[in-house]
Parts: sequence; structure tokens; C-alpha cells
Amino acid sequence: MATRPDIHLYTTQTPNGIKISITLEELGLPYKVTKIDISKNTQKEPWFLEINPNGRIPALTDTFTDGKTIRLFESGSIQQYLIDQYDKDHKISYPRGTREYYEMNSWLFFLNAGVGPMQGQANHFSRYAPEHIEYGVKRYTNETRRLYGVLNTQLEKSTSGYLVGDKCTIADIAHWGWVTAAFWAGVDIDEFPALKAWDERMLARPGVEKGRHVPERHTIKDLQKDPAKMKEIAEKSKAWVQQGMAADAKK
Amino acid sequence: MPKPIRIWLAPPGPNPWKVIIVLEELQIPYEITSIRFENIKAKPFIDLNPNGRVPAIEDPNTGLTLWETGAIILYLIEQYDTEKKLTYDTVVERNRLNQWLMFQVSGQGPYYGQATWFQVLHSEKIPSAINRYVEEAKRVCGVLEGSLAGKKWLVGDKITFADLAFVPWNDRLDAVLMCEGEKKFEGFPLVKAWHESMISRPSWKKAMEIRAKLMDIQGLAWNGMPKGVSNMEEYVEKIKKDAEAAGK
Repeated sequence: MATRPDIHLYTTQTPNGIKISITLEELGLPYKVTKIDISKNTQKEPWFLEINPNGRIPALTDTFTDGKTIRLFESGSIQQYLIDQYDKDHKISYPRGTREYYEMNSWLFFLNAGVGPMQGQANHFSRYAPEHIEYGVKRYTNETRRLYGVLNTQLEKSTSGYLVGDKCTIADIAHWGWVTAAFWAGVDIDEFPALKAWDERMLARPGVEKGRHVPERHTIKDLQKDPAKMKEIAEKSKAWVQQGMAADAKK
Repeated sequence: MPKPIRIWLAPPGPNPWKVIIVLEELQIPYEITSIRFENIKAKPFIDLNPNGRVPAIEDPNTGLTLWETGAIILYLIEQYDTEKKLTYDTVVERNRLNQWLMFQVSGQGPYYGQATWFQVLHSEKIPSAINRYVEEAKRVCGVLEGSLAGKKWLVGDKITFADLAFVPWNDRLDAVLMCEGEKKFEGFPLVKAWHESMISRPSWKKAMEIRAKLMDIQGLAWNGMPKGVSNMEEYVEKIKKDAEAAGK
């Protein structure tokens, strides 16, 4: 019988990638990392599509209880797998069947179906799109701000400083990489004081600090202070985003 | 027999029907509270869902209020699918199901939704924005097509909640792509067969009958807007005028 865990994380320095490395660090689990170079389209190579047919990071493999390899994709389902299998002491989750467990899932889905895709579209129209479409920028920046308002209200009501119950859970971890990069989507975090305080509270956690620098340094916070570098990165990303769009359209 | 679950919804959008078909498939008793689009971001609904999006459920059997379709479906399955009609109790399959559900809520829903917005609801036609989301919708269909090769269902050998979750959005793929209904799955024969086997089930038929009735009560046309209104700006304008008229 192979030993468990035998976790291998395939990831890139993005909000969706670091939510998994942070989850792993918070749980104190050992794991191997392979950096996927999305600028070289590594995520579209056949060996990677075997792990994730959707060609997106993050993806994860582990030795399952039957001794065989399990392949997982979609960051939300990876987080659920990790707490199911390895968070027996409920460090960053709640026991199945409790009210808090289901409420944690509401906020987890809220991030995966709401904040992530919408803030991603705000990034696209404000940073990467081939033409500047004011309407597109506004539509998604405003929706991101609305979603942040919902988070802010929830955190104002919270006595623990986290989204659900008395501790930091995978729902908080899933949000952090996105919220801490708010400025990149044109959203000013200062408008949301409770959320801003939560951002700092999260950053102070050793697991977040360790996990955010996977597979390489997390630089979005420094970038905010360096407009020249910001522009350079946006231009680079813009080039490969548009290349990817052109390639997808040909299929 | 559990007490009926209350489900709050607005009839036009696809998401509430994801939950309804799971309720129907599992034969869980439920009652619908149908609200109007303009009341989604207002009290009393936002007391149930602070995000102001439908659906949300209240389960008197457990006292739980829940929102986000993905979280609702996982709850219904855990709580009421004791015979594992739409799920598996083996860990590999259970995690695969979660993976496809997450792909549906974060990969299919938001992008089909943006395509529909730019194709149907927005007043100004912006080709590059339409193109972006149409291409992404086709890419999602391609992922499904590849994953259905050699099998009938996404996970294992029976229909599950993961399959059902894709139905409401795939059913309106014609509005996403702006094409004729019979051409919507062109290039994706496996997705077509998979989808058609699900919409022929009693659960979907019942859901669409209920939807038609509720749409009619609210005076809404196929596009989710009142009859005679052709885009969202006109709709918002109409809501404002109606509110003013009611205030007088």
C-alpha cells in the first residue's frame, strides 16, 4: 500500500493557485509542486489534460485510499477533498452535517461562481482586452464591488473576524488571493473597511504567508506600489491572453 | 415524510431550475415562493441571501437557510438522497461529482451568463465582448464532449446531480450562441445526446411546466423580460416608471 498523503500540486502564481497551497500549508501537509507555465500553454499539453480535461490550474493528484492515483481539478473541489481527507481535527472546516459546514459551502460557492469569475472579467476588460470597452470595464468592476459589499457586511456581523463561525475556513482561504488583488481589477479595498481588516488578518496567518509564495513569490501587493512594473506585467499578460483567445477560436 | 422545503426563486433565470429538478428527481416535497426580478436585491429576500441572487431555500426540517445552487444541491443530496439515487457513497466518485459541479457553477454558468447578457439583455451590441463569451461557451461544450466519450454520464454508470446541474444552461445554449434551437449542439453530438436524455425526464418536464406558469403570472416573455421589452435598459426604466406610478 502506497503511503498517503502523496500530494502533487500543479499550479501557477494566481489567486486560484495559491488557495490550494495555502490550504495545504494551513493543514500542515507535505506536497510536491510543479509550476505550470501558462504563458507557454503548458496547461493545454496532453499530459496535463489527462489530469484536468479543462486545461486550467490548479490540479492535484494524490494516492487514494485504494492505493491508486486520484486526479482532481476545480479549486473548490480540491479544497473540499483536502478537508474531507485530511482535516480530521477541523482546523479549517466544520464537521459534515453541521449548520456551519453548509454555510461554509455557501460562501465557497459564492467565491467560485461569483467573485472569481466576475473579478476575472474585470481584470480582462480593464487590463487584457484587445480594445478598451468602457462598458465592459464598468460592468465587471461594479459587480466585483457589489460582491465585496456582500462580504464586507458579512464580516461586519462576524464576531470571529472570519466568514463563517468561529474560525478561518476554506471559504476564507478561497477568497483571499482574489480580495488581496482587488486593485488589479480596479477596486479600492479602502471602500470596504471590514474586508480590508480581514485581508490583513488573513495575511498575518503563517499558513497564508507560506502558501502564498507557491510556486514563486506572491508579488501582487508590491506591484501596487510600482506603476511602471504593473504596466509591464499587464502588457505581457495581455499578449498571451489574446494569443490564447485566438487559439481557442480556431478550434 | 419530511415537511416541504421552501424554495425562493424568480422564474426567468436558469439557476433555480437546477435545484427544482434535483427536488423532483428525489421526490422531496417543496413549495415555491416566486418573486419578481425587481425584488431580488430587496427585503425580505436579502435576509435569506445577502447576495441577492435566486434561488435560496429554507428547510423547516433542519431549520437551515441556504443559498448558492451548488451548496444547496450538495445539502439536498447529503440530507435526502439516502438511497444514493443521484450520487455515490464511494469517495472517488463523490469527489469527481463535486469536481463537475464546481466546473458547472464556476465554468459554465458565469460564462454562458455573460454571453447571454451581451447577446440578449444588453442594449448595445459589442462584437468583441460577444465573441469572448461565445468562444468560451463553445470551449466548455468541447470539454464536456471530450469527457463524455465512451460513456453516458459524467461520473459512473448512472445519472447524478452533476449531470443534472448542466441542464438548465445547456438548454438555452441557443440564446448563448444566438443560433436556431436545433443547431445549438452542432459539433457536440455527445453533449446533445446527453442533454436530450435528461430533458426527456419527468423532472425537467415538470420544472418547465411550473416555469411557464410562473412566467405567465408575472407577464414575462421568453427572454425573461416583460412582453414588449427588448433589452435590460428598457426593463430597468420600466421598473422605475412602474414604481413611480405605484407611489402616486
